[in-house]
Parts: sequence; C-alpha cells; structure tokens
Amino acid sequence: MATTTATITISSSDIMDSPISISNTSTLYTAGTNTGISETTGLGRKKFADNSNIVLLDGGLTSGIAADVTADKSAKVYLKNMNDRGDGTKYVNILLAAVEIGRLYGGDWMFIPWCAASGKDIEFTASDTTETTLEYTCFYE
Amino acid sequence: MATTTASITLSSSDLLSDNLSLSATMNLYQNGTTATGLDECNYHRAHIPTGTSFDLIQDSAALSEDASYVYIILKNTDVTDYVKISINSEEIGRLYAGDWLFMPWDNDLTDTEAATDPSGNDSSIEIQAYTHEAVIEYALFHNGETLLTSADS
Repeated sequence: MATTTATITISSSDIMDSPISISNTSTLYTAGTNTGISETTGLGRKKFADNSNIVLLDGGLTSGIAADVTADKSAKVYLKNMNDRGDGTKYVNILLAAVEIGRLYGGDWMFIPWCAASGKDIEFTASDTTETTLEYTCFYE
Repeated sequence: MATTTASITLSSSDLLSDNLSLSATMNLYQNGTTATGLDECNYHRAHIPTGTSFDLIQDSAALSEDASYVYIILKNTDVTDYVKISINSEEIGRLYAGDWLFMPWDNDLTDTEAATDPSGNDSSIEIQAYTHEAVIEYALFHNGETLLTSADS
C-alpha cells in the first residue's frame, strides 16, 4: 500500500509573546487501519469567471471519479486558490452542501477530511466574476 | 501586525507512478487588506468524551464575513479512534488518529439564540468523538471575537 504524508507547519514569531511553532505530519490511512490510502483524483486545476455556486466534488455520485470516494471513511481534500491576493477583497467561499465553511483568499489553501456522503458536495462561490483558478486533489479509499 | 504562516507538504513516493510532492505556504492576513496579518489567536488542548456532539469553536458575531483559520489535530494513537467535524450539523469529515485539518472559517450564519446557547443554527465548529475519548489540539487564528459579558460582575 502507498505511503502518503501530509505535513503542516504553522509559525509566528510575533502573534504572541512567545513564538508559535506547530508542526505535525500525518500519514493518510484508510478508515480505522494503518493501511495507506491508495487512490487519488490526482491534482486538478479549475478556472472559472463566474460568481454562481459551482460543485467541485460531488458526494454520493453513482458515476465518475467522485463516485469512487467511499462515504464516511477517511477521504482528504486539498484546495488552493491560485490567484494573487490583490487588495484582499476577492475570495472564494468554500461550502459543504449549502453551508459555508470559509473563505479562501488568493494564495490561501485548505486541507480537510471529507465525508463524501450523498449531498455533501464540496462547492464554491467566488466573490465576483474575476477569473479565478483553484487547484485541488482528493485522497480516498 | 503579526506575521503568521501556514505551510503544507503532501508527498508520496509510491501512490502514483511518479513522486508526489506538493507544497504551499500562505500568510494569514486580515480580510480586505493586502498584507496585514491576523493578530489574535486561541490555541487549546482538550479531551472530548464520546457520545455527545460539542461546540468546539463557538460562533461569534465579530468573526462574521472575515478571515479566520482553524487548525485541529486528533492526538489519539489507536487507529480506530476518530472524531467527526461538522458545521451546522453538516459533517465535513472524520479525523482519525494523527489526522489534522486546516481550513478557513467564516461565521456565516446568524445565530438566533443567545451567545451562550448552542441550540440555534449557527456556524460553530462541532466535534464528536467515537470509539474512545479524543485528545485534540486546536487553534483559531482570527481578527477579533465577541467576548461574553460577565454575568456575575
């Protein structure tokens, strides 16, 4: 089985009196095991110039790549807004079904587990119609 | 203003036929600024008992329509242990032992209940532990939150 790792480092020397340095590495395992996840959508890139709601990963599909993502397991999703930050007023709202999770400004990334059940789509809505590029990948079983 | 960076590296030598090596780094900036860093944060460690869904990060009016970022890691070592992370009862996904998440968070939903009442529809980040008590560490980087007025002052 494959060995895939995800490492995060969060650091700041001045947000508090003492520096913050958080660093952790997780190995992506299938649910409840120490067997490595062996499937991925690969790295995808999506360009759009639209501020309507768009489904990026459609949970519970019966066909297509997302249909292979077994619901309620240990899938992980990486997303990055590839745009420049600009003046900091443009962003992409990331939603789970109809519930907003948060905003990815230009240059921001996120890495979350995904339940991938029917209706639990990962969607996005841009703050305006500026052309925006997202990169994404999903690791799943 | 503070300078806080968050970096991720995803790597594998055997998931694909070629090496996977993906890295990204971001600065945690305030909404509507070119480069003004977030300068407030909360960093916690908690034990979450099984059987109940809890509000882990409480909604706050001051966090609405803004740039906030959440980090959560499950420190358990038993591979069968996991927590479900949700917002407004919509499950985002499961963190198994050793897993972490990092995501933006916007307190998007207007809570119709009192700030001390978790029963309303809100954007609080919820957590429920399964199999065994969960030991988690979590952080919120933000631009100011609404503190509750003391009831006994």
